[in-house]
Amino acid sequence: MIEFSHVTKIYPNGVIGLSDVTLQIAQGEFVAIIGLSGAGKSTLLRAVNKLHGISSGTLTVTGADVCALKGKALRRFRRGIGMIFQSFNLVSRTTVIKNVLAAKVPDMPFFRVLFGLYRREDKIAALTSLDKVGILDKAYSRVDQLSGGQQQRVALARTLTQHPKIILADEPVAALDPVTAKLVMDDFRRINNDMGITILVNIHHVELALEYADRIIGIRDGTIVFDGATSSVNQEVIREIYAGKAPNETEELI
Amino acid sequence: MNDAIERKLRLAPKRWYLKLTVALVFAAIIAWSSTAVDASGTDSRGLLIARGILLGLVRPNKELLLNMTKQGVAYLLLETVCIAYLGTLVGAIIAIPLAFLSSAKIVPKPVVVLGRAVTMAVRTIPAFVYGLMFIRVTGPGAFAGLLTMSMCSVGMVSKMYIEFIDDLDKKIFESLDACGCTAFQKIRYGIIPQLIPDFISTIIYRFDMNLRDATVLGLVGAGGIGAPLIFAMGAYRWSEVGAILIGLIVLILIIEFFSSRIRRKLARGL
Amino acid sequence: MNLFYKIFKPKRITLPNGKTVLERRSRLPLILFAVLIATAVAIRITGFDPVILAKRIDQFFVILRQMFPPQYNYTSKILSPLFDTIKMSLLGSAVGALLAIPAAVFSSNNITKNRLIVYANRLFLSIVRTLPTLVTALVATYVFGLGTLAGTVAIAVFTFAYVGKQLYEQIETVDMGAHEAMTALGSGKLSAFWTSISPQVMPAYLSTCLFCLEGNVRYAAILGYVGAGGLGIILNEKIGWREYDSVGMILILLFVTVAAIEMLSHVIRRKLT
Repeated sequence: MIEFSHVTKIYPNGVIGLSDVTLQIAQGEFVAIIGLSGAGKSTLLRAVNKLHGISSGTLTVTGADVCALKGKALRRFRRGIGMIFQSFNLVSRTTVIKNVLAAKVPDMPFFRVLFGLYRREDKIAALTSLDKVGILDKAYSRVDQLSGGQQQRVALARTLTQHPKIILADEPVAALDPVTAKLVMDDFRRINNDMGITILVNIHHVELALEYADRIIGIRDGTIVFDGATSSVNQEVIREIYAGKAPNETEELI
Repeated sequence: MNDAIERKLRLAPKRWYLKLTVALVFAAIIAWSSTAVDASGTDSRGLLIARGILLGLVRPNKELLLNMTKQGVAYLLLETVCIAYLGTLVGAIIAIPLAFLSSAKIVPKPVVVLGRAVTMAVRTIPAFVYGLMFIRVTGPGAFAGLLTMSMCSVGMVSKMYIEFIDDLDKKIFESLDACGCTAFQKIRYGIIPQLIPDFISTIIYRFDMNLRDATVLGLVGAGGIGAPLIFAMGAYRWSEVGAILIGLIVLILIIEFFSSRIRRKLARGL
Repeated sequence: MNLFYKIFKPKRITLPNGKTVLERRSRLPLILFAVLIATAVAIRITGFDPVILAKRIDQFFVILRQMFPPQYNYTSKILSPLFDTIKMSLLGSAVGALLAIPAAVFSSNNITKNRLIVYANRLFLSIVRTLPTLVTALVATYVFGLGTLAGTVAIAVFTFAYVGKQLYEQIETVDMGAHEAMTALGSGKLSAFWTSISPQVMPAYLSTCLFCLEGNVRYAAILGYVGAGGLGIILNEKIGWREYDSVGMILILLFVTVAAIEMLSHVIRRKLT
C-alpha cells in the first residue's frame, strides 16, 4: 500500500516537482505514470523510496511514514522496494552475477562486504532471479558484453533478489528498441502476476502503458490530472495529460 | 542558375591562408630547430662503430648470453625485471592517494591545482637525479633502482588514475542507494569494481615502460642491466653489447606480448 | 587459461527449481598467489628493506634541500642548452613522425595486402620500440659523435617507433568505404589513400605526435647525460661538482618549459578532436 496525501515537493531552486498529490496504490497493482518530460513523473517515483524527499504532506509506504525515515531505518526500508532505471545503472566491468548479488550487500556482515564473499544461498537466490528473467545462461558473462535488453533484465534480476514488495521503474524501456521493450514489459507483467509485486512504472510510450498497466496516472506540471483504470483512458484524456503538446506523437501511438 | 552556383562558390570558406600559416609556422619551427644540430663531432669512425655494433648483434658473446651466474645476461635481466616490478608496484600504491587528492570530483579546486602541480614536479625530476638521491638512502644497487623507478612511475600513473576517477559512472550510486547500501558499501561495490580493471591495466602498461627505462639506472649505479651495457659500450666490446641487447630485446618483446594481451582482456572482457 | 579450468573443475549449483548452473572457479586466489610469490622473489633479489627506507629516508631530502634556494643568476647559462633540448625534441619528433608514415602504411593490413611486408614491418617497429631511448642515444653518440645530432637521432628513432605503431593501429580502424569508393572511381593507390584515409587519421596522428613531443622534451633533458647534447650535459656537470643550487635552477626551468609545452599541446589536441 502506497499512500500519498497532499504531497508537495518544491526543489531548492524553486521549481515545483509535485503539488498537492493525493493517491492510493494497493498492493499488487500495475500502475503506469504518464506525462510530458519534466511533468514530475520521476519526482513522484523517487519520493516513494525517498531518493527525493518531499516538502510537505504525508507519504506512507507499506505502513512506514517515509518522511520520518533516515539513516539505518531508511536503508532497511529501501531494501523492501526495488528500483529500475532507464540507464540500467550496472557496473559494466564485472560479471552479471556480481551485479545481481549487489542486492544482497546491505544484509551482509562487514568482512563479507569487504572481500566480496557471498554465501551459497545468496548465489542461489541471485541465479534464481536470473532464471526468472530468462538470462540464467549469461550469469558469468561480463555485463558490457550483453545487449541493452539483457542488461535491463540483469537490473530486474538484481531487484528481484531483494524480494521487494514494490518495484519502481523509471523509464525502464526508454533506452531499448520496440521489440526488446515489449519483452522487458512482459517480464514486468509476469512478475506482477506471479509474485504479486506492486509495479509503479514511469513511461512515455503511451501505447505500452495502455497495453500493460491496469491503472494509469496522468501527471502534468506536478499535478495529477488523471487517475483511473486503463480501460477508461481515451483520446481526450491523453490530450488533457499532454496539454495538447506533442500531439503527433500521441496520436500516432493510439 | 549559373549565377547561384557562382555565388555559392564565392561563399565557400577560404581556408588557404589558414593552411598556409600553419605550414609556414611548422617550417619555421623546423628551421629554427635545425640550428641546434651540430654534426662537427661526426667523422668516419662512426661508420666503423656502427659496423661493430651490427656485427656484435649478429655474433653475440654466447658465453655471456647463456651464462647462468650473477654476471650472466639471464640474472641481470631477472634483476632488471624485479626492479621494474617492485618499482611499479610501489609507485602505483603511492599514486593512489595522490590521484584521489587531485581529482576534481573529490576535492575542491585549489587542492586539485596543488595536487597536479606536485604530480608534475615529481614527473619533471629526471630519473638519474632520483637515482643519486636514493643512493644516499640505500647505497648503490637494486634497492635504489627500484625506489627510483617508483618515483618515475608516480607521475604518469597518477595522471592516468585521475582520468579514470573523473570518468566514474555515478549513476550506479543511485541504484545502490535504492537498494539501501551504506556509504562504505557504495564505495566497495560502486567505485572499486569500476576502477580496478583500469588501474591494473595502467600498472601493467607502466611496468612495460619501466622495463625499458630501467637501463637509465645503470648510469648512476642503481642496479639492473644498464651498467654492464654501458661499460661494454665504453670498452668497445661489441659482442658483449650484442649479447645484452639481444637479451633485453627478447625479454621486452615477450613481456609486451603478454601485457598487451592481458590489457586487451581487461578492457573488453574475456 | 583453459588448463586452469581443467584442473579446477567448475562448481555445480542446483537451483530450487531443479536447474543447474556451472560456476567457474575464481582465478583470483591463483593470481594473488602468483603476485605474492613474484613480490617475495623481487624483494629478495633487489634487497628491498622498509626498515632502512624508514630510517634513512631523511638522506633523500638532503640533496633536495640543497637545491633551494636555487642559483637564480645561473639562469643565463642554462638558456642556451635548454633551447638546444627543445630544438632537439622538436626536430627529432618531426623527423621521426614523418618517417613513421610510410612505415605505418606498410604495417596496416587494410592498405598493404602483402602479409609478408606487413609482418616484417611490424616486427621491425616492435624491435626498434624495445630499444631504450638512452641506449639509442648512447649508440648515437658513438656513431655520430658527442653533441646534439646524436640526441636528435635518438629522439627521432624513438618517435618513429612509437608514432609508427599508434598510426598503423589507427589506420586499421579506419572506415574503408570511402577508400573503396575512390578506387571504384578509378583513382590510383596513392591518391585514394590521400583523399580517403588520411583525413580520417590525420587528427589522431597529429595528436599522437604532440603527445610524443611532450614526453620527448623530458627525455631530451636526460640524453645529455650520455653526451647527446642539451640540458643533460650541464645537469651532469653540476651534479658532478655538487652545485645542487644550480641543479635546482635547471630543474625549475625544465619544469616551466615542460609545463608550457604540455599546456600548449593540450590546447591544440583538444582542438583536434
